[in-house]
Amino acid sequence: MGRYRYDGSFEGYLSTLCLALAERDEAVEFVRDAPETEPGLFDGPAIAVVTGKGEAAAFRERFAAEVSPEAFSMLCYAFHSEREGIENLLWQYVRLGLQAGPRLCSMIADKRVNRVDRLARAVSREAHRYKGFVRFRELEEGFLYARIEPEAYIIRFLAPHFARRVGDRPWVIHDLRRSVAAVYDLAGWRLVHDITLTGSPRFTGAEEGWAGLWRSYFRRLAVEERRNPKLQQKLVPLRSRKYLVEFE
Amino acid sequence: MRLILSVPPCRISPMTNLSLEQRLALLADSAKYDVSCSSSGSSRRGAPGMVGSTGRGGICHSWTADGRCISLLKILLSNVCIYDCAYCVNRSSNPVPRTVLTPGEIVTITMEFYRRNYIEGLFLSTGVVVSPDHTMEQLLRVARRLRREERFNGYIHLKVVPGADAVLVEEAGRLADRVSINIELPSRRSLLLLAPDKPRESIIEPMRRLSGLIETSRLERRRSRNAPRFAPAGQSTQLIVGATSENDRQIMTLSEGLYQRLGLKRVYYSAYVPVSSDRRLPALAVPPLLREHRLYQADWLLRFYGFASHELLDDAHPHLDMRLDPKTGWALRHLEQFPVEVNRADYHLLLRVPGIGVRSAQRIVKARRTCRLGEEELKRLGVVLKRARYFVTAGGRYLGGISMEGPELLERLTAPGGRRASLEQLELFPARDLSVVTGEL
Ligand code: SF4
Repeated sequence: MGRYRYDGSFEGYLSTLCLALAERDEAVEFVRDAPETEPGLFDGPAIAVVTGKGEAAAFRERFAAEVSPEAFSMLCYAFHSEREGIENLLWQYVRLGLQAGPRLCSMIADKRVNRVDRLARAVSREAHRYKGFVRFRELEEGFLYARIEPEAYIIRFLAPHFARRVGDRPWVIHDLRRSVAAVYDLAGWRLVHDITLTGSPRFTGAEEGWAGLWRSYFRRLAVEERRNPKLQQKLVPLRSRKYLVEFE
Repeated sequence: MRLILSVPPCRISPMTNLSLEQRLALLADSAKYDVSCSSSGSSRRGAPGMVGSTGRGGICHSWTADGRCISLLKILLSNVCIYDCAYCVNRSSNPVPRTVLTPGEIVTITMEFYRRNYIEGLFLSTGVVVSPDHTMEQLLRVARRLRREERFNGYIHLKVVPGADAVLVEEAGRLADRVSINIELPSRRSLLLLAPDKPRESIIEPMRRLSGLIETSRLERRRSRNAPRFAPAGQSTQLIVGATSENDRQIMTLSEGLYQRLGLKRVYYSAYVPVSSDRRLPALAVPPLLREHRLYQADWLLRFYGFASHELLDDAHPHLDMRLDPKTGWALRHLEQFPVEVNRADYHLLLRVPGIGVRSAQRIVKARRTCRLGEEELKRLGVVLKRARYFVTAGGRYLGGISMEGPELLERLTAPGGRRASLEQLELFPARDLSVVTGEL
């Protein structure tokens, strides 16, 4: 049995898959690099995986060619659900895929594939919803700043969307749950880890004006005779309202 | 064709001394009864240094207290109108405060809202002032500045003013993603009664012209990628439901014609909200929301499920059944076609099973390539069996338990346990505008 320690990133995970496949491992244990996962007294030694862009890309190409690009994208979305035990679930998925080939994607009624399919769709759905829910605020520091606290690690699916959309201003989307931010500087975007807020963000003078205008427009737009707060709550659950200026 | 108007002297002068916030609020009030808010069907790519992109699927940014998706900044340039359509808040005889926003103000608000990701774009409409040409020109001014000066690449939906010059209409289509003209009243008679300034021809004719321009541009773009676009997200319209006496059959037949003959992208239905005590209009206590919901379901069946309107409604059934969704209603009248075997029935037949939506049908067809489907597998695929079980067999086994008899089944499907049809069921259609195929019928 192989025991692998990797850095917790998607690229790191793909590098690990490469290694485990090369070793022809069957049962595999994945350990994330984190202080709380220091090896216990009775754990065997873990092989430290070096995250390599080359390995990750090689795996991606192999999987897309032997199974399908769609299957790779399922793998990618499902990984970012950060569900407990996701590494092992996907390890089964990958091995099954390399056996079954292009049929894998139609095996959605199979338990093993079904669980991956469900997770992947939940993550992709959340990413889509957040394309609407991100709210940028204009900061004194001269950039647009948005806070989010999504269930899944969706920031890497959001960033390309906003890079295409708000291309004329620098912006930052900050996932407070994971202390990670996507930073756009007019040329491109990158992820920055271990971000902490040192104080509360300082909005520009104009910012409150625009937010206020939006808020009053938003309230005015509801048709009184059609009021249906229950439905509204179903569509915008309370937990996703935290950073929506119109609900402040 | 130019519409000849008898223009009454404009009795109303807009209040311009109000703050931006007050004017925005007034004009939102005037725009909110127009239900269209979709931002789907067009894809423009953004680029560094530019603002905006549009996605094929459409994105909802928020939902108002009445549960409607906000995707676009829906606003009137001016709520001053020289016409007096009885059903409209902006009719000239209605004593509401009037105001305007300048094109510059709308451009700034759109850009500031868009950058903050409040909206996908702008839906601009207006009351008619001075003349159709003058009014259209005002709308175009906003769109031109957004596209040319601000290099705005987001979604723009423009109202086309019936009777405006062809050159202006042409320009509107070049600038906008979607264009629309609202028919509002489903029949000639009702229009004559409630909107005497707007003969039916003055609405249908320009819609026909738009449809021709959209089709031509689509064909040209197939030949050459550089051919200019004309309203790539097509044209839509709106019908008011419950203000006049048309039955559901007349309404759905009209919609079907609009989809088939004029190639419309969407027909919106708006339950009439009494905004007037005009004697020609019914005094409704509440807007007919359930009926509106059933019409949307029937509309979905026309567009995505391969139904024809005469299958859903005919002389014997001119109204949609309020207790059941229209697909279940159809199935109960055609029990001889059921049950169908999920492992064999072709896609189009699966779509006709009550409770099986587009997504479920697609998943069934996909999954059965590699696996024989039983009840367990169907559940795993996320197929909701509550209604579907009475209409299918899985691996030869009938999932309904009871034998199928029309009246019994009807009772079962409408029993409290099966959730009686009520306003609650509006929730079956959570995100009308989020994606065109989410409606699971
Ligand atoms: S022309 Fe339009 S804005 Fe004017 S009253 Fe009629 S429906 Fe209302």
